[in-house]
Amino acid sequence: MTLSTQPLTRRRFISAAAAIGSTTLLVTACGGGGGATSAPSAGGWTIPTTDPTATINVLSHLGLKTDHMQDVVDAFEKAHPTIKVNFETVPFDSLASTIDARVANKDGSPDVYWADQPRISALAARGEAEDLTSAFSSYKSTFAPTAYDAGIYQDKLWALPIANSTQLLYYNKTLLKKAGLADPSASTDQRMTWEQLITDAKKAKDAGAQYGFLFGQFDRYYQLEPLAVQLGGSPGASGNGNLTPDFASDAWVKALTWYGSIFADGTAPKGLASEQTDPAFLGGRAAYMVEGPWLLPQLKTSKVDWGVAPQPVFAGGKPATPTGSWSLAMNPFSKQKEAAAIFLRWMAIDDGGGGYIKYLPSPELAASVEGKKVYFAKDVFSTPQGQDAAKIIDFETANTAVNRVSTIGYIEFETIMNQMYADVRNGADPKTSVDKSTAQLKTAWQKYQ
Amino acid sequence: MTTAPINVPVGGPAGEARRRGIGSRPMVTALLTAVAVVVSAAFILPAAWILIGSFRPTDDILSSMSPLSWQLFVPSHVTLDNYSRLLVDSGFSRALLNSAFVCIASVLIGLLVSAMAAYTLAVFRFPGRNLVFALVVISFMVPFEAIAIPLSQQFISWGLGNSLVGLILPGIGNGLAVFNLRQYFLGIPTSYREAAMLDGASEPRILFLLYLRISGPALTNSAVLIFLGQWTAYLWPLLVISNTRLQLAPVALASTFGERSADYGQNFAGTVLLALVPAVSMLVLQRFFGRLSLTSGEK
Amino acid sequence: MTALRTTPDRPEPLRRRRAGRRLELFWGAVFLAPVLVSLVVLRIVPAVGAISASLYKAFPGGIIPATYAGLQNYRSLFGDPNFNDTIVRTIVFNLIINPLQILVALLVAVLFVQRIPLVGLWRTLLFVPVTVPVVGSCIAWGAALNPEGPVNAIISALGGKPQPFFTSPGQALACIMVIASWIGIGYWMLFLVSGLQAIPEELYDAAKIDRAGPVRTFINITIPMLRRPLLFVLVADTVANFVLFVPVQLLTGGGPQSSTTLLMFEAYRTSYAYGSRNLGAAQVVLLTAIMLFFVLLQFRLLREEGES
Repeated sequence: MTLSTQPLTRRRFISAAAAIGSTTLLVTACGGGGGATSAPSAGGWTIPTTDPTATINVLSHLGLKTDHMQDVVDAFEKAHPTIKVNFETVPFDSLASTIDARVANKDGSPDVYWADQPRISALAARGEAEDLTSAFSSYKSTFAPTAYDAGIYQDKLWALPIANSTQLLYYNKTLLKKAGLADPSASTDQRMTWEQLITDAKKAKDAGAQYGFLFGQFDRYYQLEPLAVQLGGSPGASGNGNLTPDFASDAWVKALTWYGSIFADGTAPKGLASEQTDPAFLGGRAAYMVEGPWLLPQLKTSKVDWGVAPQPVFAGGKPATPTGSWSLAMNPFSKQKEAAAIFLRWMAIDDGGGGYIKYLPSPELAASVEGKKVYFAKDVFSTPQGQDAAKIIDFETANTAVNRVSTIGYIEFETIMNQMYADVRNGADPKTSVDKSTAQLKTAWQKYQ
Repeated sequence: MTTAPINVPVGGPAGEARRRGIGSRPMVTALLTAVAVVVSAAFILPAAWILIGSFRPTDDILSSMSPLSWQLFVPSHVTLDNYSRLLVDSGFSRALLNSAFVCIASVLIGLLVSAMAAYTLAVFRFPGRNLVFALVVISFMVPFEAIAIPLSQQFISWGLGNSLVGLILPGIGNGLAVFNLRQYFLGIPTSYREAAMLDGASEPRILFLLYLRISGPALTNSAVLIFLGQWTAYLWPLLVISNTRLQLAPVALASTFGERSADYGQNFAGTVLLALVPAVSMLVLQRFFGRLSLTSGEK
Repeated sequence: MTALRTTPDRPEPLRRRRAGRRLELFWGAVFLAPVLVSLVVLRIVPAVGAISASLYKAFPGGIIPATYAGLQNYRSLFGDPNFNDTIVRTIVFNLIINPLQILVALLVAVLFVQRIPLVGLWRTLLFVPVTVPVVGSCIAWGAALNPEGPVNAIISALGGKPQPFFTSPGQALACIMVIASWIGIGYWMLFLVSGLQAIPEELYDAAKIDRAGPVRTFINITIPMLRRPLLFVLVADTVANFVLFVPVQLLTGGGPQSSTTLLMFEAYRTSYAYGSRNLGAAQVVLLTAIMLFFVLLQFRLLREEGES
């Protein structure tokens, strides 16, 4: 068949030209590393004395209805009628990457977002957080020291803490009685040792408990960092900017060996995911569990006869407990920084310890000193066990809390650490795992050297 | 131009349901049926567990997981609570409606656009045809996650953020659907088209009144491709939508797993609802398009 | 257009052929334009952007501008033994899972075009896993393959030894294969059933006359006639398995001991969790290149006469 070539040539040329043109456009755009050209106006704002009229976008993993944030938002809008809050919820697992992508859009939304405390250094180094030093550093004394320090990077403040955490040892009195075990003391002067705990937990399991011992969050650096610290190890990294892996020491190997051993003999379950641990204890199937204060309201409505004690320590070691929770950070590209600052201050500081703690219906351990008092006045601490818990929480947050390591490479660090813990839990040799993970982390951190 | 109807020759791929058995001996049939039952049962078991779980409280699901007992599949406490809380309290129903709208629109436009392109690639010969086909294949080989962030930034800068249009557009150009239809069209004898052209039909008439009419199965399969691609989209709506009222169902479902707790019961209820829509749509599409691979035409 | 004339006039038919040809090309352009524009703008151009991004280096996060670095990303990737392991692992994974899934899907499709009662029901049941959201599937399979879960209970009841499944570096990847296959086989079965039903009856009748058995019929008639849908299914399945990462993310996080760290999971983690988008882009470019190689192989294998 003969072909008429003229229309084809013209058509092909036009489409080819269009393709080349758009390709060039996108290559230059992508090569430059971003779309918008506006640079963030760092600083240059103060908290005004009169409220501006503005609408701010707030990004969180908490739901308005499911987590009762509607009450908090309503209280804020009542206190500051000219500022409207658009509260957006994203699934918890996607929060970190959503924040990265949204802030990198450079269009100023969201104005405020929930920041995980150990990640704040990384956020600041990436340019995703606004410098809050001039506006908020004067409020330093209103916060628990560890919570405030979590927001510090290169001597500047980048986020305000609104919540804190610690860990307690919960035990099921019925299951302990079945095994003939005495209730652990609630006094922080008489901590159990981990060694004793596992021996007792094994007895409880043999006497009929489905699970002898549970960590609230298996295979998480948050939960397990203090194990090595109790033995004298570092939080996991050291050196300039905490960018040198430091978890190959004897303390770390000893802690990991202990961790692997509790699964090897079945005292703690290998296959139980972290989301399933709370229901297991609340359902009366676990004898001992180390978990945070958020278990207390749920225990009130469960049928478990429970008691509480301080988190154990290694024999000969120094007590150390996990700590840290959420902070609020401001988008450096935000176009409503004054309004955002007012929101930040109201949430974390105003109204005697922060509006967040005051108006959130469920009890949340505050990062502010005043807020803690509000917290301990909540109903959940009215029972005898509740009072034990309150004393322990107060003591641990003030004395034994160790922050997670502060480094701009935190995300790679935590991912690799969690994998290492999981491998040890599944039976890998601790020394080999530690060496492999150190090598992996060194590779991942090359970009920061 | 003639207005005579286009004749479709009988036989070939457009024929009616055929019957063929390897042997009509009852023993062979019984054996094959037994195999079919076992295979189907094995496949459906995990999904059945989720279905049953959606009617149980979360604690019942978790406590029955281990140690193993018959309680794994038998609830000790049946409840509609998961569904009612999910649909009434958490805005999941609105997300479902959003998803349905986006997916149906994507399928309608996407099928049309894909069929036209597949026809051109299967039937016409022109220089650059292989280049175009290569572009189609490459388009579905590039993982979406690799281009999602820059593309979402583009969409937002074009003002398509927080819009249903912004959700529909990426689903329309589906290289897999084009590929699938092209393979099918290649199997339609060229004599049909030549006969139609002798009758004086134009290309659109040939495509829409001839090819599409005998391509029921391929159209339905491609519709499934496009529909499922959009129905299961998670990353794109997350990047492009910040207004909760416009969010899609998979993102809404992920919120059942929070920071410290996981509502398995609600998650399973949402999973069942999300699975139900494509499954039921498949059944409905079959009726509409007549003979279809899922329920008719044994060989 | 009027009826064809058969006079030996030379200019008329030639002009009509040219006009017909031009008309065909016109319609071709109209039909092709929407898909082409959409694919180019929404897939091809961003893909080229990703290739270009892989030639830059930047501080993680996407805000601090990137600087040109040439092939530095690729050099550092190939200099990392863990990354090379990941590439090998991904290729081996695909070499095993792709033929396996297609074979099983084909067998199931053949089974479900037989004359057995309620065949529509069986096909639908096999298709249901395709419709279940992947998070739900992973929870269900995570529970099933728990070392203390139902599958081990059945194995014990049958007299075998309980298996470690996801907790063992030797078995975790195989478990991922099982889950991916459970989800995907119904999908491919659908396309293959359509393909089987499109095979003309006359060919089978001819084979019966030749007294050919079921296996010979299958090899000499069914498979060659399935070439087109088989190519589609093979290519689509290859792509699906190369870009697989959600079950890994939800169930193993790449472990235990990196045994389930596939290339797409690694690229996703690098781009989205670590925020190193340029390095992640380099990983995706490599992934797509490897995928392209396999896909081209499949096109060659199932090529027909007159095509290329």
